[in-house]
Amino acid sequence: MLTIRSLLRPSRIVDAHCDVPCGVYDPEQARIEAESCLRIIEKHDASDDKLFRARCIHVKEERAELVKNHLDVLWHDYFKPEHLEKYPDLHDTFWKASKQASKVKQSLDVAAAKDLLAMIDTIDEMWKATGGPEKTRVNGRPS
Amino acid sequence: MSRGRGLSGPLFLVLGMAAGVAVGRRWLDVVEVRGGSMAPSLLPGDRLLVESHSYQGRPPRRGEVVLAPDPREPGRELIKRVAAVDDAAASAELRGDAPAGSTDSREFGAVPLSAIRWRAVFRYWPPQRAGRLSPGE
Repeated sequence: MLTIRSLLRPSRIVDAHCDVPCGVYDPEQARIEAESCLRIIEKHDASDDKLFRARCIHVKEERAELVKNHLDVLWHDYFKPEHLEKYPDLHDTFWKASKQASKVKQSLDVAAAKDLLAMIDTIDEMWKATGGPEKTRVNGRPS
Repeated sequence: MSRGRGLSGPLFLVLGMAAGVAVGRRWLDVVEVRGGSMAPSLLPGDRLLVESHSYQGRPPRRGEVVLAPDPREPGRELIKRVAAVDDAAASAELRGDAPAGSTDSREFGAVPLSAIRWRAVFRYWPPQRAGRLSPGE
């Protein structure tokens, strides 16, 4: 009977798989938060109100943290090993963009916020070139 | 109904199964389900008997529970239900029974029929839910 038991032991695992997120990815999400950071820094600089400036810093740090989160999700959930073949600098690009988001979180540097936007645009190009708009948005990215 | 009588059917099946698996894992095999995309019909940890004989003679049919390689990830084998068969394209649309929690053909597209070799026929574990897997719609 021991043999029957061993024969009934599964030979392999089969996946009733779910990525659980919905499979919707778009660098636009990170970009909107990064744009918020840029605008908030500008508003901060233009204001004399101490309280308002404090709020600006607080909200900007939150937004910058969201940028990092959205970039992370794109990086490890959307992009796949085959994309790395096409873009060997993919990891480096994400690493630098995440670091840049940290810089924006820590500073009130307008130039840093603009650089972050440019980095997200580079990621956006990779997303587009790998079929992101058709594959991940419900009806493509709204124009 | 006596208890012994109620058990003889399943017992016979399990013995037959073991004999079948013994013949060779080429035609019959046993697998374990991971993940919840086939709930409520299949739950994580369910153990199933699968067979590869049917699809040598005919294509998979709508409603059958099948194993198919994940088109996006070599080495991973998926278990899903056949939602539609396109004879002309020789491909099948696969869906999880829990569509809100399933990654399937909606994401990775139709799967070639030639890639689908195994059909899930019987659940033997857990015993309370043992039985044939009914072809759903």
